[in-house]
Amino acid sequence: MNATEIKAAIRTWILDRHPNYDAGKLTDETPLIEERLLTSIQVMDLVLFLEDLTGQAVDVTRLQKGAFSTLEAIRQAFFLGASA
Amino acid sequence: MGDLQGLAERLSILSEQDRPPVDRGLEWPDAFDPEAWAFSPELSVLAGHPALDALDEAARKRLAFFEAVNFFSLNINGEKALIEGLARQCYRPETGDVTGYIHHFLEEESQHMRIFGAFCMKYAGKVYPDRKVVFPREHAIGEADFLFWTRVMLFEEIADAYNVRMMNDASLDPLVCGIHRMHHQDESRHLAFGRQMVRDLWQTHAPAWSDEVRAGVREYLVGYLVSIWKEYHNPAMFRDAGLSGAYDLSVSSFETDTTRERRRALSRNALNYLTRIGVFEEEPQL
Repeated sequence: MNATEIKAAIRTWILDRHPNYDAGKLTDETPLIEERLLTSIQVMDLVLFLEDLTGQAVDVTRLQKGAFSTLEAIRQAFFLGASA
Repeated sequence: MGDLQGLAERLSILSEQDRPPVDRGLEWPDAFDPEAWAFSPELSVLAGHPALDALDEAARKRLAFFEAVNFFSLNINGEKALIEGLARQCYRPETGDVTGYIHHFLEEESQHMRIFGAFCMKYAGKVYPDRKVVFPREHAIGEADFLFWTRVMLFEEIADAYNVRMMNDASLDPLVCGIHRMHHQDESRHLAFGRQMVRDLWQTHAPAWSDEVRAGVREYLVGYLVSIWKEYHNPAMFRDAGLSGAYDLSVSSFETDTTRERRRALSRNALNYLTRIGVFEEEPQL
C-alpha cells in the first residue's frame, strides 16, 4: 500500500465509526483526538486494524507521543516506509 | 473512609497469614504437553463460532494454548498498569490510612506477574503486547482516582470469573489450574478492597461533579469494559494457532451469541455492584 491508500483506509475506518461527521472536513491534518474522532478506548481497535494492514504486531508503549494525533501522524508511526 | 480503613487492616492480616512461598508450590514441566488443554474449551472465544467446526482436537488444543497465553498476557499488561497506579496511591493524604494494605496488594500483583510471565515465556517465548493507550486529559476532582479504581475492579472481576471457572476444570492441565487458583486466592481480597474503594470515591466525589462529568464517566466505563472484552479476541493468538483470517475472526467472534452472553454473564456482578452504588442509573448493555 502507498501512503495515499493507507490514509484512505484509516480515514474509512474512522468515518465508519462517526457516520454523522462531515467527511469533507476530515483531512490528513485534522486533529483526531481534539475532534473526538478517536478516543483512547477506540485506539485498541485501530491498532488491531493497523496490525492487520501492516502484518506486524505493535507495542504501543514504544510509540512516540502524538502517534495518533492525525491521519498523517498515524501513517508515519505505523507505515514509515510507505511512499506517496 | 472509616470502613475502608477497617477493611484494609483486616485484609492486611489475611495477607500476612496467607503469605505463600514465591513459587506458590507450582510444578513446571520442561515443555507444555500439546495433548493437554490450557484453556477451557467452553470459554474459548470461538465457542459457538463456525470456524471452530473446521478444527480437529489437536488444533483446538493449540488454540486453547494461545488463548491461555493471551489470558496470562492481558493479566500481565493489566497488572503493569495496576502496579504503576497502586504505587502512586501510597503515602498520599487521601489514602494514607490504607497504604499498609496497598503494599500487600503490590507484592501480590508482582508475584502474579512473575508467574503469568513464567508461563508465557517458558512455553510460548513471548508475552502479547498491550494495546491500550490513555490520552492525557483534564479530570474533575477525584475523577481520575475513581476511574483508576473502577478500571481495576472491572478488570479484576472479569479475570477472576475466568479464574474461578478454570481452577475447578478437571480437564485442564494441572499447572494451568494451579495458576488460576493462586490468582483467585489473592484476588478475592483485592476485589473486596477495590469494591469498597470504588464506593467510597463515588460517594465522596460524584455529588460535586456536573451531570456532564457523571455522564462522561459512565460512557468511559462502558467503553473500557468493552475494550477489556475485546482483548480476549486478540488476532495474534489466532495467527499463532495457525488460523487464517485472524483479524476477521477477532471481529466476527466478538459478535456471536455465545460470546455476547458470556460477556453479560461474567460482567454481571461488577455491573450490578456499580448500578447498586449509583454509578450507573441502569445496568448497561454490552
